[in-house]
Amino acid sequence: MRVNPNLVPNILADLQQSQAAVNIALQEVSTGKRVSQPSDDPGASAAMVQNGIDTANLDQYTQNITSLQTTVQAASSALSSVVSSLTQAVSLGTEGANGTNSASNLQALAGQVQGILTSVVSQANTYVNGTYLFGGTVTSTAPYTADSSSPTGYTYNGNNSANSVAIGAHLNIQVSLPGSQVFSGASNNVIGALSGLVTALPSGNSSSISTATAAVTSAVNYIGQQQAFYSNAESQMNAQESALQQDQVTLTTQATNLVGVDMATAATDLSQAETDNSAALAAAAKVLPVTLLNYLSTPQ
Amino acid sequence: MAVKVPGTMGADAQTRNRAAGEHLVLLRSLARELERAIEAIAHNNLAELEESIATQQDLSVRLTELAHNRREAGTQPPSAHNIDLDLRGEIQTAAGELQKLNLRYSLLIEHSSRSAAQMAALFRSFRGQIQEASGARENHSTLSCQV
Amino acid sequence: MGGLTTSLLMGVQALEASEAALNATSNNIANANTPGYTREVAQFSENQESLTGGTVIGGGVSLDSIQSVRDELLNLQIQQQTSLQGSADTQSSILQQLQTYFSNTGSDIGSALSAFSSSLADLSANPSSSAVQQSVLSAGENLANSFNNTAGGLTTAQSGADSQVTQSVAQINSITAQIAQLNAQLSPSVMSQQNGGTIEDQRDQLVQQLSQLVGVSISQSSDGEVITTANGSPLVMGSQSFQLQTTTGSDGFQQVLDSNGNNITSAIQGGQLGGAIQMRDQTIPGFMNSLDTLASQFATAFNAAQAQGFDSNGNPGQAFFSVPTGTAGAAAGIQVALTSGSQIAVSSDGTVGSNGNVANLSAALTNALPSGQSASGAYGELVYDVGNTASNASAQSSAVGQNLLQLTNQQSSVSGVSIDEETTNLIRYQTAYEAAARIVSTIQALSTVTLDMGSSQSY
Repeated sequence: MRVNPNLVPNILADLQQSQAAVNIALQEVSTGKRVSQPSDDPGASAAMVQNGIDTANLDQYTQNITSLQTTVQAASSALSSVVSSLTQAVSLGTEGANGTNSASNLQALAGQVQGILTSVVSQANTYVNGTYLFGGTVTSTAPYTADSSSPTGYTYNGNNSANSVAIGAHLNIQVSLPGSQVFSGASNNVIGALSGLVTALPSGNSSSISTATAAVTSAVNYIGQQQAFYSNAESQMNAQESALQQDQVTLTTQATNLVGVDMATAATDLSQAETDNSAALAAAAKVLPVTLLNYLSTPQ
Repeated sequence: MAVKVPGTMGADAQTRNRAAGEHLVLLRSLARELERAIEAIAHNNLAELEESIATQQDLSVRLTELAHNRREAGTQPPSAHNIDLDLRGEIQTAAGELQKLNLRYSLLIEHSSRSAAQMAALFRSFRGQIQEASGARENHSTLSCQV
Repeated sequence: MGGLTTSLLMGVQALEASEAALNATSNNIANANTPGYTREVAQFSENQESLTGGTVIGGGVSLDSIQSVRDELLNLQIQQQTSLQGSADTQSSILQQLQTYFSNTGSDIGSALSAFSSSLADLSANPSSSAVQQSVLSAGENLANSFNNTAGGLTTAQSGADSQVTQSVAQINSITAQIAQLNAQLSPSVMSQQNGGTIEDQRDQLVQQLSQLVGVSISQSSDGEVITTANGSPLVMGSQSFQLQTTTGSDGFQQVLDSNGNNITSAIQGGQLGGAIQMRDQTIPGFMNSLDTLASQFATAFNAAQAQGFDSNGNPGQAFFSVPTGTAGAAAGIQVALTSGSQIAVSSDGTVGSNGNVANLSAALTNALPSGQSASGAYGELVYDVGNTASNASAQSSAVGQNLLQLTNQQSSVSGVSIDEETTNLIRYQTAYEAAARIVSTIQALSTVTLDMGSSQSY
């Protein structure tokens, strides 16, 4: 078989290939991406769909945690203030029960406890970032309003439910307790206890005053337990925040592995591709015109 | 004084006839070479053509020398130059044939030279096309500068 | 017959023969750069010698034929690979275009799904915020738009392929007519002593162009060359060509009919025409079906999640998306049906402030759809499908290109013309002619001397 005298198609094909390699390397350097379209790497492109969704969600979960921590801390501090109020009420009740008080004293004491009740209710009606914290899922109406027909003097307008908020792909967290549990619970009605003491004091009956005071003491403990819920929620969210930061790193790394290119490597690749291309061009230039055509003399 | 005997050849005559004989052979050989060359061209046989031309060159040189010698000898009186009549006739015939052949041959050479010159011109334009393909390097250096 | 006349005749014959031979060489050289030219080899035969008056006279030469050097099998392989390349190139370029709709551009379905998903997570924390509700609505609209645009891209590509069908058929008809004409020139009764080499080459080139347009089958019959489509519809029979026709089908696309009126659209393989039909009738509809299925099932699932809850007006959740009934056209037709963010069914029990149903809405994106994958999973699979198909087409185009190059190289070495060889000869010829011309002059000069010989026989 004779040697192929028509070298031009081969040489041109080689040149096309080496030029294509330069173009790819150039694109990688300028875009920082190895994969710009699905055909570059179908598997990577498919995986990036989920990566994109996960990344967007992750950002939102982090934002959710930030705003939730505000409300959780607000609730917690409201309860702390309730605890001090209740403690004060206990000492007032204790005083009222010692049998040495005059009626006007007792009236005065009752008035003070009434004041504490009002402040506790206002704590129960804490409103942060557009929502009432202790209304259950009724967040746009004040949980407790004065109601003379109610034995405690207040009506609960909220419900017994609580919202759970997404802070992770498979993690929802309950961040509030309904007032019906915290302040007017069946097992321990804090408002009821206070209003009971307000009622008992003017009677002057030591025994009933002591009983009422004991109820308030019990409420102090109860609120302390409710607070645990909120500090627990706070810890969970802190932990989740760290976990999300980890996840972010993982996702970013995954994205780079899938479609990104390491800049230093890309720069080296480009340099190499250009060198190869120069060599291909030089070789082609040598081969193509070397025929006797060069030596044909011009006619007279 | 020597008496010439009609019909008999002296030594001089023999020499003269031998020279004439040689002339005839040269003429005929050259004619054959021209025919050979014509056939070689028809067969596209370059090697054969080149060989024939080399031989032609040789033969024509010798013929020219002969002609030159005869000129010089031409100052002598005619009676001293007699050669065999038949021989003379054959030489005349051969010379005539050669000239006719040469005419045809020269036409062929002329035609062929023109064709070869045309092909050469074709080559030069073809060569231009190949040069264009390797001009791609110009674009490349611009790219590098941009990067 | 002898003597001078014979010699003259021989001379003329020789001149003619050499002229033909020179023509052959000049043909070779002038055509060295012409694709498909095969080297002609002048074939000579010596005429019979004639016996005249006891003298044997050489018969001179005459030209028998100039044959082309070919390798028929090689030609056939090249034609087949050319068909494959035509098809692969066509498919590859269409796929390159349409895969941009599936790339991560920010307006693609994937990006829209991400934004929609994260807006729902925001809603989880802020179910009553009208601003967040509006952002969910907007994200939903973007998602519907991305489906519409992607479907539009597929439809556009399909129309493009349809145009190629029309174009290719027109080109095919033009070429088959030309081939038939050339076949008429090549038929044995016409050809006699003429050189068919150049015409055969032209014909081969046209057949190769035809192969690039559509896969063909070539055979010889008693009437001459027979070219049919791969499935047997006639295109060329000897000096007769058969035209293909196109007619609008029920789907609005061009159907291809053979000269008998048979619909051969689905039977066409190879070449640009085969590639365009493959894309238009198989590949793109496949993608479109996956896209429509996703749009339809996702919209249905999300609407079902809406229905599980109550909106901020206290009403049961209405359909968030509207889609055509059935799968076809779902992606092109999907729209957001709600007019206000307050209609998003966030509440589980009607309480304003409850986010109980938001989890269901989010779950519609992560739960498996009837097809077996989640919305993002199904879309990811479609992205893979498109990318993989595009990558394969591009790879095949290169691979076939490589094969073709190899085969063409083989063909060239069998029948290609070497410029070097021809130019070397040319230089030698020129040198020889120059020497010959000088000799001719020398011989002419001798004639004046010879003329004298009649009178002065000087030796």
